[in-house]
Amino acid sequence: MSAPAPVFWQKNPALAWREIDGETIIISPNDSVMHELNDTGSFLWKNIDGRKSAAELAELLVENYEVTPDIALSDTQALLEEMASRKLLVTVPATLGVSP
Amino acid sequence: MDRLIARTVEKHRPLSVHFDLTYRCNERCVHCYLDHDDHGELTTAECLKVLHDLARSGALFLTFSGGEIFLRPDLYEILAAARGLHFDISLKTNALLVTPERAARLREFDVRRVQISVYSDIPAVHDAITKVPGSLLRTLAAIPILLEHGLQVKLACPLMQENLMAYRGVMALAEKLGIPYILDLTITPMMNGSGGPLAHRASVSSLLPVLQDPLMHACKPQPGAPAASAVNASPPAFGGAVSSGIENLAYEDLPCSAGHNSCYISPYGDVFPCVQLPQAAGNLRREKFDEIWYHAPQLERLRAIRESQLPICSRCEIRNYCERCPGLALMEGGDMLGAYERACALAEEKARLAGVAVPISALHSGREIASFQPAPQAEFASLAADSSSD
Repeated sequence: MSAPAPVFWQKNPALAWREIDGETIIISPNDSVMHELNDTGSFLWKNIDGRKSAAELAELLVENYEVTPDIALSDTQALLEEMASRKLLVTVPATLGVSP
Repeated sequence: MDRLIARTVEKHRPLSVHFDLTYRCNERCVHCYLDHDDHGELTTAECLKVLHDLARSGALFLTFSGGEIFLRPDLYEILAAARGLHFDISLKTNALLVTPERAARLREFDVRRVQISVYSDIPAVHDAITKVPGSLLRTLAAIPILLEHGLQVKLACPLMQENLMAYRGVMALAEKLGIPYILDLTITPMMNGSGGPLAHRASVSSLLPVLQDPLMHACKPQPGAPAASAVNASPPAFGGAVSSGIENLAYEDLPCSAGHNSCYISPYGDVFPCVQLPQAAGNLRREKFDEIWYHAPQLERLRAIRESQLPICSRCEIRNYCERCPGLALMEGGDMLGAYERACALAEEKARLAGVAVPISALHSGREIASFQPAPQAEFASLAADSSSD
């Protein structure tokens, strides 16, 4: 069984969002549901640009927060998947990274 | 949402903005508070600059309205810019100009909600208000087009003398279409202060059957209402109405959200706390939004108002039944801090319906006391008032 193809993470372009005093508010226009991201979630959100993998995002987290690489990667992966399940994020093949 | 509102009120972040792109309109509604002539609307470039300013200031919920927004030939350019700046976009329109192609464009820009004015389900009643023959049929024809393109639609029905008893028909219409609706008893003077539209306002006594209607108190969940998802997600209280969410605890001792976390921008770039509070705090042709929002004395004065310190209303025993609006207090009573007849009379009727034995507002109880004052004291009070105004 081969390893999954590497992917980059990208914001769903249909979303409305704003960072207000360090916290990010996201509104999904299709279902009018509001999502709030805390400080670290907002940090990751800002850096999700369609050109970074989960591992690269986790590295940024390690550089900017007091967190070990293992925890950063597992937390980042979990958050990205959670947001993808809510259609806030989509993945693109790493070879096709796009502008935000 | 509660936390977001509390945070933005506390720090005065402009979370929600109502931006009228034009006052020009293809209807001539009898109760309208706008001057429909074009006195120099913001250009496309000026509108886009305003949007950039608002995004930088943290505004998220953006409602484009008018006048009729489809009369702006650059509407899509403005919507595209708003989309690019990640606003949550709502529109208010009479929908007369909606076509499948235009609905598709709105969808392309991820407009979340379109609020449509409908005054009755009876063409003669609706058209007599809009003064456009055939307008109800055209407006209603637009709704399925918008829904088919995946847009959320909400009906808004201001109630006045001409359509007071039409509310049940509008409610039934909304339910049949499976969409939410809002009924509004507020008819305001024109923004220039002229009281013309008030001639169409239903009297408080004529509103009693509406206020007493059990259907109005059924509190059924409205179709199309946003669903909450799990964990940290919640449906937005803001949507069509910029100044909505008054029930939120963050506003507990504040008159409303106006100037605290919401504002209104006219087609000429004037910034107001609210469309119903026509005291311009500044103009976006001359100043940046942040300079107005954070430094205008008009907004600072408004933010200092606490309901518990209002000279008359703070001692009113039925204030829990009152929907006092500081803008209407200013326009109708001449004092943003004051009580005004319409709100007091409505509060008394609502309190009476809720079972309060003899509901008298502070405004009216003050008058009753004054009317029983012995003459010398009344004269003294009058003299004192005169001297203090010198």
